[in-house]
Amino acid sequence: MAPTTLPRTDVLIIGGGWTGLTAAYELAHAGQRCVILERGEHRHDATSFAGPEEHDEMKYAIRHHHMVDVTKETLTFRNDRGQQALPMRRLGSFLPGSGLGGAGIHWNGQLWRALPSDLEMRTHYENRYGSQFIPEDLSVQDWGVTYDELEPHYDFFEQICGAAGYAGNLQGERRDGGNVFEGPRSQDYPNPAMKQPISNTLFGRSAESMGLHPFPIPSANVTREYENPYGAKLHPCTYCGFCERFGCGYFAKADPIICVYDRVKEHENFEIRFESQVLRIEKSEDGQTATGALYLGPDGREYFQPADTICMNAYALWNVHLMLVSGLGKPYDPKTRTGVVGRNYAYQTIASVDAFFDDSVITNPFMGAGALGVVVDDYNGDNFDHSDLGFVGGGYIACKQYHGRPIGYQPVPEGTPRWGLEWKRAVRENYGHHGDIVVHGSSMPTPENYLDLDPTWTDAFGRPLLRMTFNFPDNDRRMSDYVMHRAVEIAENMEHVRSVKSTNLAAVGSNYNIVPYQTTHNTGGAVIGTDPATSAVNRYGQMWDHHNVFVFGACLFPQNLGYNPTGPLMGLAYWTLHHMKNDYLPNPRPLMDA
Amino acid sequence: MPAEYSRRAVLGQIALGGALATAGPAGHAFAALDDRPWFFLTDNEARWLAAIVDVFIPADEYPSATQAGVVDYIDFQMATHYGKGARLYLQEPFSQGAPEQGYQAPCPPAELLRRGIAAALAEGDVTAQDAAGRERYVQAMSEAQGNIDDSDVPVGTFFTELLSLTNEGCFADPIYMGNNAYAGWEMVGFPGAHAYYLSFVDKHNRPFDKPPMGIAHGEYPHTFPRIVGGS
Ligand SMILES: Cc1cc2nc3c(=O)[nH]c(=O)nc-3n(C[C@H](O)[C@H](O)[C@H](O)COP(=O)(O)OP(=O)(O)OC[C@H]3O[C@@H](n4cnc5c(N)ncnc54)[C@H](O)[C@@H]3O)c2cc1C
Repeated sequence: MAPTTLPRTDVLIIGGGWTGLTAAYELAHAGQRCVILERGEHRHDATSFAGPEEHDEMKYAIRHHHMVDVTKETLTFRNDRGQQALPMRRLGSFLPGSGLGGAGIHWNGQLWRALPSDLEMRTHYENRYGSQFIPEDLSVQDWGVTYDELEPHYDFFEQICGAAGYAGNLQGERRDGGNVFEGPRSQDYPNPAMKQPISNTLFGRSAESMGLHPFPIPSANVTREYENPYGAKLHPCTYCGFCERFGCGYFAKADPIICVYDRVKEHENFEIRFESQVLRIEKSEDGQTATGALYLGPDGREYFQPADTICMNAYALWNVHLMLVSGLGKPYDPKTRTGVVGRNYAYQTIASVDAFFDDSVITNPFMGAGALGVVVDDYNGDNFDHSDLGFVGGGYIACKQYHGRPIGYQPVPEGTPRWGLEWKRAVRENYGHHGDIVVHGSSMPTPENYLDLDPTWTDAFGRPLLRMTFNFPDNDRRMSDYVMHRAVEIAENMEHVRSVKSTNLAAVGSNYNIVPYQTTHNTGGAVIGTDPATSAVNRYGQMWDHHNVFVFGACLFPQNLGYNPTGPLMGLAYWTLHHMKNDYLPNPRPLMDA
Repeated sequence: MPAEYSRRAVLGQIALGGALATAGPAGHAFAALDDRPWFFLTDNEARWLAAIVDVFIPADEYPSATQAGVVDYIDFQMATHYGKGARLYLQEPFSQGAPEQGYQAPCPPAELLRRGIAAALAEGDVTAQDAAGRERYVQAMSEAQGNIDDSDVPVGTFFTELLSLTNEGCFADPIYMGNNAYAGWEMVGFPGAHAYYLSFVDKHNRPFDKPPMGIAHGEYPHTFPRIVGGS
C-alpha cells in the first residue's frame, strides 16, 4: 500500500531524547510547528519509574528493558576490514535508548564540558608540539566551533539539569576544589556538589596528597529542590543506587521527560507521535534538500510526513544509519578515504582500577548515584605535557560509587578464580570494602574505523544494518595504559588499601570487544567542521549537501573527548538551535559556503 | 502430577553429603514452587544443572547455588521470554566469528541449554561423580575448545551462559525465584530496594544493617512469579 501523505509541518524531529525534545521546545517557542517521531513508547517518571518496581536489576540492568530491542534494530560489528562483520545479536558494549526521553532517562548524569583545547585539537597540538606531532594515522581535526562560542550553551544546559558541582574556573578566576583545568565558566553550578561516601573521599585525599586536583564529578543528580529555566521542578537525589540503566522515579536525576517534555507537551506548536519508526528521509528531485520522512506508524502502516526543515535526533549511530539508507551526504569509503558519512567513528577508551580496603573501611556501595564520584582531570585532554609520551589525548580518573547491585557489582582481587569457594568468599568479603576507579579516556579517529551499511543482514524493516568497523588505535592504547598507571599510583597511595587490580579494556594486544559494557558514548560518523571534504555538517550542525537538514548528537564529534558526551553534545544542540532560530529559519539557505 | 512430587527431592538425588536435605529455611517463591514440576527442564536436566551450578557456587557458611534456588531460576528463565529469545537478534545466516563479536549461537538460550545438556549427558553422568570429579568436569568444560554436539556452537558459548545464569539466580530479586530467602543478598550485604540513603551516604564506615527487602517485600507466594515482559 502506498504511504499516506500527511499535512506538512514546519519542523520534523526524528527522535524524542535529550536533543530531540530540546529542539522541539526551542523551535516550538520560536513559532515553528514541530512534529517529533519517536520509535519507542510513551513513558513517564511519575508513572513508569517508581520504586520498588523500578529497582529491578534483572529487568533493567541485565535484560535492558528500557533500551533498544535488537530484534528490531541492531548493527553488525568487526574489528577490521579483513573480518566479516557479524550481527550484534545482544546488547553489550553500549546500550542505546528507545522510547520517550531516549537514553536520557537511563543515563548516569555525569555532566561535562569539553576543554577549550579539545575543540581545537589539531591546531592546539600542532601549535604546542609541532606539526608532526599528531600521528599520521589519526584523522584528528578541529570542531570548527570554539569554547567561547559554546560556553553560554553549556551553561544553559547545566541550568536545565540543575547541575551540582563546584566551579574550578569562574570567569577566569581559578578555584581550588573545582576543576582547575576547565575553561572559564560564566557562573557557578546552579546547585552544590553531592555528598561523598568514604571510598571517593579516600581517593580525593590520596590524589590531593600527590599534588593532583580532585573535585566532585559534575552531576545531573540534583542536590536540592530546584526549578529549571523551563519551569521544571526537581528534587534532591536519595542516593538510591539505581541510576544508570534505570529511570528515576524521584524526579532527582535530570532527564528529558521531566526537564523538557513536561514543559512543552501542552504547547500548541508541539506534537509527538510514539511507536513511529522513521524508515527513510526523502530528498527533493535536485537532491539539494530533504522533503520529509517515511515512517511506520503504530498501526503498522506507512506514512509520509512532509516538512520544511528536518532535525536528526535519533542518537549518534541511528542518525548515521538513517543518512546512509536515505542517501543523505556522501558515504565514507575507507579505500579512497573520501566521503564523510560514517567517517571518524570513535568510542571511549576505558580502563578500570579496583582498590580493595581493609575491613575498617565500610563503603556501603549500594548507597550510590550515577554521578557520585571524585575525579581528577590532571591527565585529561592536553592538561599534561605530552612531549615525550608518544600519544595524544587523555582521560579523567574518577572514583565512583554509582551502585552496589549484586549481579553487576562483584569486585574481586587479582587472581581470584571465576567460580567456586574461593570466588564466593572473595565476592562476599570485598563487596563492602572496595573503591571503584575508572579511567575514562578519549578515542581518536582513524581512516580504518568507520560506519557503513552491511551487505548481508537487515533490520525488522528490511533495511540493511549499520556496519561498525572498529578497533582501538595504538595511540589510544598507549594513552589508556599511561593514564591507568597514574590511577594505580593514586589507588596504591589511598589509606587502608590492601591491594589494587587494574584492567585495561584497550590493552595492547587485545581487540575491542562488543560484549562487556563500556559506555554508550559512540561518537562520530557525521562530524561537524568547516571543510565539506572532512565533515558531514558545517559548524552550525547543518548538512553541507542538504541545507534543511540539521544534525544533533555525538555523531558530530570529530574525535571523542575524555568526557561523557551529553554536556558537550547538548552545548552543540543549543548552539545549532540558536542559529536555526536567529539565522536559518527566517531565511533558509546554506549558512556556510561549501 | 503425583501429589508427592518435590523439586527438592529430585535435586536431592544427586546431593553430596546431604547438603540439600539441610537447605535451611525455604522462603517465598522457592517453597511455593516445590511441588510444581519444572516449567521447562526435565528432571534429568535439572539434576545435571544442580551438579554444575553447585560447583560454581558451592555450599559453605552460605547456601549453595541449588539451595539458593538457582535451578528454579534457570528453569523459569528458560520457560519465559529470555529463554525463548526475547531481545536476541536471530536472523540468518549464522557464523561463529571471533569472541569479540559476542553471542552467535543459531538458537535462543533455552535451546542452547537443552542441546548443551543433552550433549553433556550423552558423554556420561556427572551427577554420579564426587565433588572433586565434578570440579574437574566443570574446569574441563570451561577450557573446551570444541563445539557442542555436531553443531558449530562453541562449548564456550554454552559455558558462559551457564555461569551467568547461575550468578543471576543467586543474586537477582527473589521475584525471579532464585536468591531464596535472600541467600545471595545476605551473603554480600545488599539491602535490596530500601533505596533512601540521603542521610547515610556521607556517614562514613557505618554498617547499614537493615535486613534485605526485595521488590515484593517478601510477600510470597501471594505475588506469583514475575514474567519479564516479552518485548
Ligand atoms: C547506561 C547509560 C549511561 C549514560 N551515562 C551518561 C553520563 O553519565 N553522562 C553523559 O554525558 N552521557 C551518558 N550517557 C549517554 C547519554 O544517554 C546520551 O549521550 C544522550 O542520551 C544522547 O541524546 P540523543 O538525543 O542524542 O539520543 P537518545 O537519548 O538516544 O535519543 C534518541 C531517540 O531517537 C529515537 N530513534 C532512533 N531512531 C529512530 C527512528 N528511526 N525513528 C524514530 N525514532 C528514532 C530513539 O528511540 C531515542 O528515543 C549514558 C548512556 C547510557 C545508555
